[in-house]
Amino acid sequence: MTDFRPVLQIVGVILCLLAAAMALPALADLIAANDEWQVFVLSGGATLFAGLGLMLGTRTDFRVLTVRQTYLAAALGWLAPCLFAALPLASGPAHLSTVDAIFEATSGLTTTASTVISGLERMPPGLLLWRGLLNWMGGIGIIVMAVAVLPTLHIGGMQIFRVQGLGAGEPASPRTARLGRTILGVYVSLTVGLWAALWLAGMPRFDAAIHAMSTISTGGFGTKDMSLGAYNNSMIDLIACIGMVLGGIPYLLFPLMAQGQWRAILRDQQVRWYLGLMGLGAAAVVLWLMVARGFEPLTAMRHGVFTVVSVMTGTGLVTIDYSDWTGLPAAILFFLTFVGGCAGSAAAGIKVFRLKLLFANARVQLHRLLRPHGIEIPTFNKKPISEDVLESAMGFLFVYVLGFAVLSMLLGFMGLDFITSVSGAASAISNLGPGLGETIGPGSTFAPLPDMAKLLLAGGMLFGRLEMFILLVLVVPSFWDQ
Amino acid sequence: MIDFKPVIFINGILLLILAAAMGVPALVDSVSADPDWRVFALSGLTTGFIGFGMALGAWPERQRSLTTHQAFLLTGSAWFLVSAFAALPFIFSGVGLSVADGVFEATSGFTTTGSTVIAGLDHAPRGLLLWRALLNWLGGLAFMVMAVALMPSLRIGGMQLFKMESSDKSDKVKPRVAQVAGSISLVYLSFTTATTAALWLAGMDIFDAVCHAFSALSTGGFSTSDRSLAHWGPAAQWVMVLAMLVGGAPLALFVSPWKRHAWPFLHDSQVRWYVNFVAFFASLLAFWQWAVNDMEPGDALTHATFNVVSIVTTSGFSSIDYNAWGGFAQVVFFILLFIGGCTGSTAGGVKIFRWEVLFKLAGVHLKRLLHPHGIFFVDFNQRRIPQPVLESVLGFVTVFFLTFAFFALGLTVAGMDLISALSGSAQALSNVGPGLGAVIGPAGNYKSVPEAAKWIMAFEMVLGRLELFSVIVLFTRSFWRG
Repeated sequence: MTDFRPVLQIVGVILCLLAAAMALPALADLIAANDEWQVFVLSGGATLFAGLGLMLGTRTDFRVLTVRQTYLAAALGWLAPCLFAALPLASGPAHLSTVDAIFEATSGLTTTASTVISGLERMPPGLLLWRGLLNWMGGIGIIVMAVAVLPTLHIGGMQIFRVQGLGAGEPASPRTARLGRTILGVYVSLTVGLWAALWLAGMPRFDAAIHAMSTISTGGFGTKDMSLGAYNNSMIDLIACIGMVLGGIPYLLFPLMAQGQWRAILRDQQVRWYLGLMGLGAAAVVLWLMVARGFEPLTAMRHGVFTVVSVMTGTGLVTIDYSDWTGLPAAILFFLTFVGGCAGSAAAGIKVFRLKLLFANARVQLHRLLRPHGIEIPTFNKKPISEDVLESAMGFLFVYVLGFAVLSMLLGFMGLDFITSVSGAASAISNLGPGLGETIGPGSTFAPLPDMAKLLLAGGMLFGRLEMFILLVLVVPSFWDQ
Repeated sequence: MIDFKPVIFINGILLLILAAAMGVPALVDSVSADPDWRVFALSGLTTGFIGFGMALGAWPERQRSLTTHQAFLLTGSAWFLVSAFAALPFIFSGVGLSVADGVFEATSGFTTTGSTVIAGLDHAPRGLLLWRALLNWLGGLAFMVMAVALMPSLRIGGMQLFKMESSDKSDKVKPRVAQVAGSISLVYLSFTTATTAALWLAGMDIFDAVCHAFSALSTGGFSTSDRSLAHWGPAAQWVMVLAMLVGGAPLALFVSPWKRHAWPFLHDSQVRWYVNFVAFFASLLAFWQWAVNDMEPGDALTHATFNVVSIVTTSGFSSIDYNAWGGFAQVVFFILLFIGGCTGSTAGGVKIFRWEVLFKLAGVHLKRLLHPHGIFFVDFNQRRIPQPVLESVLGFVTVFFLTFAFFALGLTVAGMDLISALSGSAQALSNVGPGLGAVIGPAGNYKSVPEAAKWIMAFEMVLGRLELFSVIVLFTRSFWRG
């Protein structure tokens, strides 16, 4: 029988952190003399109560988590905060129903940023800050997961990013603590830097803080209904664009960057492919904007590059309503949604390294057709890819596509039209945010969807964020045996 | 240096066969006193003359077997060449197709896709209708012979699993064409005859029955009416369902089961997956039509089964405009475009066998996550799949989706809208026929599609028909250096 106590204890700690975070919006509302601060204090109190209860009720001095416990902790550690983070939204000024609140909170924590709230300009600062914070916390949560948890669990080929001395089955070492500090330090300093840059570029201080948090986490919650389009400032667009690109780069590379080892970063195949695909997509969209829409070259660059970066990293910030970009850009954005960012970052999607692995294999297969007895082996960063990794990556890709197919069918079953179902499913599973089409395209909200569809989408976001297999493993009967 | 002689010789023989086939519509037209018979006679003579020249000029001295390089070159060139010559009657006949339209129609016929650019089929001359059906039928036969005799030795996309026990393991490809073709053609021919008789009994006139039997068994999809099978009643539609199902099953399993005292197709795991899959989606859609769109239960079952079978087997007949069935049905039909029939049949697509392998692979990945030290294998028909086969299946699926995405982007550049481009690329690659949306949906026609898009799709059809790798390999540098 699995020992649940360590799992619940971890969930308790996470809830306590969440409760502490609720103090910030309460403070913001208090300063702005807004009555809603009570909502945050009350929700914070309830969350803290639950968190402390779990922590104290399950005190053990565990040092190592078993594999099963790690899965449970990862799944519950995301599910519980999503529910508790919905508390202030459900009782707050936006008057959201329970389903809407859960959708919004899940969308925030998974860094998806599909929203059901319209009229953001009229919302109190506490609520806006809370949404930004959700993105930000979700971002750091997933980076920690991607660096420490997923590689040790061997999920979808992530084992190639395994760092010695980290993860399940190994006791915490000084190295772990140092690595954790580094990542957190990078994340915080990037956020602060982005904040300062946005502020200097002319954004109000408060808006800059929220956008900094939602950009670096590749979340995408903003403070205006029209997202960044409301500011109409090309400097702000450029800064946010750089922030998103950085948000999709593996975090373990930033310490190298600080040491000035630029070569090492540019030699990393994942980063190369990431930037390469992004560049290709952006170039095509910019060209299309110039040729088919008659944009000025600079305007085309600004909106084209920004939109491609935003969609590929799964951020979902918008500078221009791209729902009427039919044909080529729509197809490019649709495919890039699936690609996503690099492993080890806050971005979601299939992840660039898996595409690289599979592409390397396909190339080798092609060559083997001609030389059946050749001993060519697919490589990644000049290291041979083991069969095990390849199969894991393909298994992941298959489940990803299957999950997308099933989700879009279910959404269709709820009565949504083709484009809404397909783009909604892709957007949820890749943690992007806006979909395509009139209902859920950029600039519109998910509010008109039926409740059931919202719950399905929220489930899809968690499914995608937890790299599918964490949730799938839990429903395998043999997980609960023994 | 590759010796082109045997390749040219076999191409010449194939053209001679094509020329002989043109005699059939010429005969039919001259009997019904249609002036088009001259077109067929002339095209036949031209094709025959060139084929004769090629065969005679490249008469091989003694060599009987092909090297791997020659085999790849043969498969690639033969399909393009035959499609080009088969277009002659379309271009010069009374319907007056442009070159692009003619090549599109002929390629679509010979690759058993079944996308058509001809409107007004109900009043078209009989020779032309017969020629389209005959192209489907010949294409189906040619593909099956290739799939059984050539593909396994070329080791494309896991096909080596279907290598016949007796074939040797040397690098020389020895197409036992005569032997294999003999038994398969016999099965194919007898099923065609049976279908013709059944369709005739179901109320079709004898000419329509022959044409439909040709295009159903080959999973082609050319009809003799603009409304496809909606023109006939449920009896004919159910006969067609059976015929398409047989066409999408591995025909080699039907070879004289009474001799072996066993009915292998009842135990084959691929066939089981195929039947279950079709049954599941047919009942799902029948339920949707009955519950949501208030169709009569009988009609719902007929139409759902017919169209699901038609898409999964990559035939492409339609009994109703399912594009009007709503978002859910559109999503389902879009997903079905990728499935494809069984390996060893006339169907195209990714094929059930590869989906089965992927599904099992994902299961193995899941088991490995739970038991990191356990040893699990992927089975097919109770036999373990060797590692190289697995990798080549993965390579195939990766390339399939990359190609799909690449050409979908190409189609949007050519000026198609998003739904048409996505479904158009998928249907061409899987050799299905109709896409989705108003333009190329089941009620639409490819006539209005931009010319560049027709060329792209025609190329894609051949690419899909030849299982991608045998064409792509021709574009690698190492192929020509070898």
